[in-house]
Amino acid sequence: MTMIDRRSLLGAGAALLAAPALAQSRWPARPVQMLCPWAAGGGTDAVLRIAATLLEKELGQPFNVVNRTGGSGVVGHAALAASPPDGYTLGIITSEICMLHWQGLTEVTYKNFTPLGQLNNDPPGIQVNASSAYKDVKQLADAIKASQPGKFKASGTGQGGIWHLALASWLGAMGLKADHVRWVPSNGAAPAMQDLAAGGLDFTTCSVPEARAMLDAGRARSLAVMAPERLSAFSNIPTLKETMGIDITAGAMRIIAGPSNLPAEVKAAIEPALKKVFDSKEYQEFMNARGFGLVYADGAGAGRALEAADKSLGDAMKAAGLAKA
Amino acid sequence: MLLSDRVTGTVLVVLGGLAAWSGSRLPAVPGQDVGPAAFPMLIGFGLVICGVLIAFGIGHSFEVPEEEEAPAGRSSFYGLRILVPPALLLFYVLAAEPLGFLPTAAIIVLVGALVLGARLILALPIALIAPVLVHLAFYKLLRVPLPAGILPAPW
Amino acid sequence: MNDLLEAVRLVAAPDVMIAIVASAIYGLVVGSLPGLSATMATALLVPVTFWLSPIAAIATIITASAMAIFSGDIPGCLLRIPGTPASAAYTDEAYAMTRKGQAETALGAGLWFSAIGGIVGTLSLVLMAPLLAEMALSFSTFEYFWLAFLGLMCATLVARSSPIKAIASMLLGLLVSCIGMENPAGTPRFTFGLTDLLGGIEPIPALVGVFAVSEVMRAMVTPEPPKLPDRKFGSILAGQWKLTKKYQWPMWRGNFIGVIIGVLPGAGADMAAWVSYAMSKKFSKEPEKFGTGHPEGLVEAGASNNASLASGWVPSLLFGIPGDTITAIAIGVLYMKGLNPGPTLFTERASSMYALYLIFILANIIMIPLGILMIRLASQVLRAPRAGIMPVILLLCAVGAYATGNNLFSVLMVGAFGILGFVMDRNGYPVAALVLGIVMGTMVEQNFITSLIKSDGDVLPFFERPVSAVLATMTIGALLWPLGVWIWNRTGGRRLPAQGAAE
Repeated sequence: MTMIDRRSLLGAGAALLAAPALAQSRWPARPVQMLCPWAAGGGTDAVLRIAATLLEKELGQPFNVVNRTGGSGVVGHAALAASPPDGYTLGIITSEICMLHWQGLTEVTYKNFTPLGQLNNDPPGIQVNASSAYKDVKQLADAIKASQPGKFKASGTGQGGIWHLALASWLGAMGLKADHVRWVPSNGAAPAMQDLAAGGLDFTTCSVPEARAMLDAGRARSLAVMAPERLSAFSNIPTLKETMGIDITAGAMRIIAGPSNLPAEVKAAIEPALKKVFDSKEYQEFMNARGFGLVYADGAGAGRALEAADKSLGDAMKAAGLAKA
Repeated sequence: MLLSDRVTGTVLVVLGGLAAWSGSRLPAVPGQDVGPAAFPMLIGFGLVICGVLIAFGIGHSFEVPEEEEAPAGRSSFYGLRILVPPALLLFYVLAAEPLGFLPTAAIIVLVGALVLGARLILALPIALIAPVLVHLAFYKLLRVPLPAGILPAPW
Repeated sequence: MNDLLEAVRLVAAPDVMIAIVASAIYGLVVGSLPGLSATMATALLVPVTFWLSPIAAIATIITASAMAIFSGDIPGCLLRIPGTPASAAYTDEAYAMTRKGQAETALGAGLWFSAIGGIVGTLSLVLMAPLLAEMALSFSTFEYFWLAFLGLMCATLVARSSPIKAIASMLLGLLVSCIGMENPAGTPRFTFGLTDLLGGIEPIPALVGVFAVSEVMRAMVTPEPPKLPDRKFGSILAGQWKLTKKYQWPMWRGNFIGVIIGVLPGAGADMAAWVSYAMSKKFSKEPEKFGTGHPEGLVEAGASNNASLASGWVPSLLFGIPGDTITAIAIGVLYMKGLNPGPTLFTERASSMYALYLIFILANIIMIPLGILMIRLASQVLRAPRAGIMPVILLLCAVGAYATGNNLFSVLMVGAFGILGFVMDRNGYPVAALVLGIVMGTMVEQNFITSLIKSDGDVLPFFERPVSAVLATMTIGALLWPLGVWIWNRTGGRRLPAQGAAE
């Protein structure tokens, strides 16, 4: 009896060991690692963790989020691009992938990835202190045009960050030089919004969701959003297009991707799953609650968005003198 | 590794000088008057000043005389044992991926324990048990992706 | 009153209670593992909170983070491996107590005064949130610069060695913080072409290296210390009441400073602990005992540490400005659960707010029994032979460093900082000052450079604003202190204790 038991146990063990090999045909057969190039606790990390939890429900295998931080996103993005294209290492990539290579910080570009689905896009906004004299974006723009270069101070992120480029694009569209407004580098949107409320800045160009709490507290006002359409969560904020006729489409994108040459079978499995995740009640509720922009695109659409962003951000960086020759 | 204040002070002077010099060579940022050079240069100068003061023995009177703990009568190789922990960490960096976490960790613990003078009867069980517990805690509870290597954990 | 009753009902729900206990245990375990921060413990909870009710979700975050911060003190005290940069301020003190055989008093003080600090911090949140928030909002980069500078000067006040060596160590830390491109200009500095250095040196690997690895290195060349007399590990809370009465003043001062510093986003618990420990030494009647295993500094810094944690929620709850990475995660969870931060949270969702307060207080109360259990378990380490413990610590250093960014480069950094820490320690350079420099460096530079940019290179605005003028005076006073004492020594020819500063 014990003999048989032991034998059947051994058999079961062997079957367990062999199982992955047999099931290799259906992806995913084992846990999938999801790389996040940004630190735990940030917005990108939160979006990826929610998406991973929902993917796990959808596809029946754990999707483990792993933060590969460092180098302002360089390390994590490079690690994902260099991972084996077997579908067991995927991750999230952000707009910075269209900026880092222009600065000469990495060789990796959006072409080193297989985009699988865009989950979010946040356009830049224009926020002023609640007691600011500028009632709408036109007044602010006129004052900027009339001012000495360097007199106005704006912030929202670090030097050469995405919101700095949004400012450069806006100034460029008004026919001004990129450094007409002095950029005050900050450690992200939250400290910039605090300095705005403390009276240290003239305006910020971070996204509206990042400014939200200060807007709600009545410490700041949002004059415009740099997007083709008004945001569903903030429908009272006009777009730059309707007030000034300026069309800027750059924003902070978050896209699920894998390394290039991902097998077709993996793409076929995950793309519809991502669409389902995006449409799920939980995801929609989460994103709306955070105020994050709900923009979806499939793999091909995300690829086009990356291509367009790469060009427009590259142009803005060259104009601002931030790109390496 | 007890060095005289003269030596450590000089090292600081050189380090501060290098920091200030290479800081001053950093490119300015377009559109900004204050660039990335300012802070390293300030620190560099500060280090040079501190280094000079230390080299001349100023402020030495504040120090609590260190109780000398040099082991007498050992060969000069004995002091090299302090390099064992960094060497083991280097070993971890090199071996973790190809060997896998469990064998690498077992070797580190075994070697570390033996160098510290443990008998095999103590070192071996610790080298076998500790890696497993650490792996369980980090891999299962915290989902840290420890490399599997040649000996994947059965869980 | 109805809101309060409703809040009690919300918190007393079984799912909330289970969430509190489970996340308390989780936080205690994760926090006590070297290298693993409270931030990481909290981030891992986010997907879990997704499936919980709003109050239970917030409860897990609050409880787990409070527990993890406390239990970060345990490895620091027993093995000289501080779990957080905050506990680095008093690690050497606590470890000295352990070596004197007073581990239970040291850990008990950590636990007891952490709980008191947490409760006082919560009360300040309840009673003065709008007032404190207003204060936080009046801090612009000029004030932050002076505050950070003042925090750095604490390194010289705390040090038991030459103040010049302490300043040198701190400058070395600042230099380390220059590495990478996380600076206002976004320019890579001192990276030597290594991608891994672009992101700079994380404080955790440096912390683990200079304290833990250098301790293992020291063990390699020193004979095993004589076993402590084998006696029963004393009662953990016994004597805490006596300490509370004896050091009543330091305790209140710690609470007060913790609340004030905690409210300022970005300054947080790290600075609170340092400033309080330095104050404690400065105003103590027996400053010469500091660093030799004297509980007074632990009382003040421990209270301050946890008070700042609670008051750190003020800017988060009122303006959605995270005070540190933990509250950043918490803000995300609040939004996710429809409890949007803002003044309306206090008026329209008053019952939820009261529930939040209750959870804070509950978490700090159950911290005491669970913490005692944890201390008892952890202190078994002291009985084990050194040859068995040290290699395991080394292994934990490697894995803990790896876990901060899942990057093997961090493990190399731990080794390098181990050597640096060992050499510095042997030659009288305080390693805690180095850690402070690394932790505060980015904040000092950020606020210094952006202030200069805003003032178009003018230095005057650094002294013009009223708050910044006060902070500037204090900082310059602390800066001139070592010089003053040195001159005093030269002229008077007598050795001064750390007290009696020129202010």
